[in-house]
Amino acid sequence: MKKLIGIIFAVLSAVFLIPVAATVFLSFYSEGGFTLECYNDLLFDCFVFYPMFWNSVLYAAAITLIQLPVVILCAFGFTWAKFRGKGILFIFYIVLMMMPLQVTILPNYIGLRDMGLINTQWGIILPMIFSPFGAVVMHQYMKGTDSSVIEAARLETNSVFRVILVSVIPQLRVCIFAVVLFVFAECWNMVEQPMLFLNDKGLKTISVFISESGSYAGAVLFPAAVIFLIPVLLLYLFFSDSLEKGLTLGELS
Amino acid sequence: MKSIQKKCLKWNTKCALCLLPSLLGTLAFFVAPFIRVIYYSLIDNQFRRNLVGFDNYIDTLANEYFLLALKNSLLLIVICVPIVVILALAVSLVLSYGIRWVRKTRAAFVLPLVIPTASIALIWHSVFASDTSVLPVYLLFIWKNTGICVVLLTAAFTAIDHSIFEAAKLDGAGSFTLHKKITVPMVMPTIFFVSLLTIVNSFKIFKEIYLYYGTNYPPDHSYTLQYYMNNNFLKLDYQSLAASAVLTSVLIFGIVMAGMALQRRYRQ
Repeated sequence: MKKLIGIIFAVLSAVFLIPVAATVFLSFYSEGGFTLECYNDLLFDCFVFYPMFWNSVLYAAAITLIQLPVVILCAFGFTWAKFRGKGILFIFYIVLMMMPLQVTILPNYIGLRDMGLINTQWGIILPMIFSPFGAVVMHQYMKGTDSSVIEAARLETNSVFRVILVSVIPQLRVCIFAVVLFVFAECWNMVEQPMLFLNDKGLKTISVFISESGSYAGAVLFPAAVIFLIPVLLLYLFFSDSLEKGLTLGELS
Repeated sequence: MKSIQKKCLKWNTKCALCLLPSLLGTLAFFVAPFIRVIYYSLIDNQFRRNLVGFDNYIDTLANEYFLLALKNSLLLIVICVPIVVILALAVSLVLSYGIRWVRKTRAAFVLPLVIPTASIALIWHSVFASDTSVLPVYLLFIWKNTGICVVLLTAAFTAIDHSIFEAAKLDGAGSFTLHKKITVPMVMPTIFFVSLLTIVNSFKIFKEIYLYYGTNYPPDHSYTLQYYMNNNFLKLDYQSLAASAVLTSVLIFGIVMAGMALQRRYRQ
């Protein structure tokens, strides 16, 4: 039985790995066989690549770092405040979380245009800060945390920020890692927003570069894809140990 | 007594105020523009701006491409979401309780999450070049979205306190009963969340299908709601786009409510 499960797993993980392996393989492959030519084309001949790469890093890092306090505060409010309509408000967040991009992109575009944020970095960063996914996950996790610690902290101080800092955040470690990982990955992967909200080539991202890689000289798609997956993979490896310590989500309500 | 009450009230207000940054942002970037979209769905065109009531909705609901897109999107949910969730559940059970070396394979399921769509679309293309069915799209969806479910579910499994297992084992429970009576109920909320998330992701698969077929007009079986809206966006037909966006939101609201009702039923 154990052997059988082992074999099934080996096959299954191989199936999942093959497309990734193929990407890596193809990045070293040219007509003549193994070569670094593609990387050469990308890293030394393609000057737009570096600014686009750094734009991606900047957007994803800025969104993640600014979103985190907003999300923690929001989840704290949802978990500990009592007011009428809280349930409905949370359902609204879940519905918003489920909206496909094609639904939100038009309202988003209109909103950004009215604020004069089209073709600026903030046009990419600001709406993503308020994407509801992080708040929903954080709230579900926070419901399961120990409330007596918060009661104890309240005896010491009357400041919400101090209570959050001292007694909430230490309990949230694993969930913060998970949210950072998912939010960063999501920002890193976004293609439509930079394509539609930005006109300047100098502001666009590596994901756009990859989608439009056909228009650049040389076989740059696969090496760019390999470089693309490194930052999120590193982030995952960095956080995976603490994720393995467990993350429980409460009921959606 | 009264001062304690007052203090609690103040505390409650402070907690509620924590919601403010998120609420304001949501209001500015999603709600206010969405109200504009609803308005667009009720007028005849951008320039004349006559209110036409539900005409745009009636047109959309009668549009054969909208209905085709709706059918395809729902089919993707009905067929693929259960497969993803069950596969992820099986994988994470083995990852959490199975053989030691198997745990090392977890990264294999996570990698699809981080790989750019464009390169995968190209690889899919060379593998499934001769396949004209919907299968490549479904496989792409399953391949891409099992990982995040595995991460969340394994994390939920590892969070279960193992002393409960020991106690149940002493009472003579077998491994199947253990999982049925302890593991599954404890991770049930995560299973619900993961299902919801996979439905979300089924709405996000557009980019993959788009790059895979490389056209605005894919085969009929892969023409989803996102295609319908994307094409209307490109045609600058904001009225149809707005009407279908609102209809899609209603559909999603329905799915969320059904999911929550299901969850409540399960709890009882």
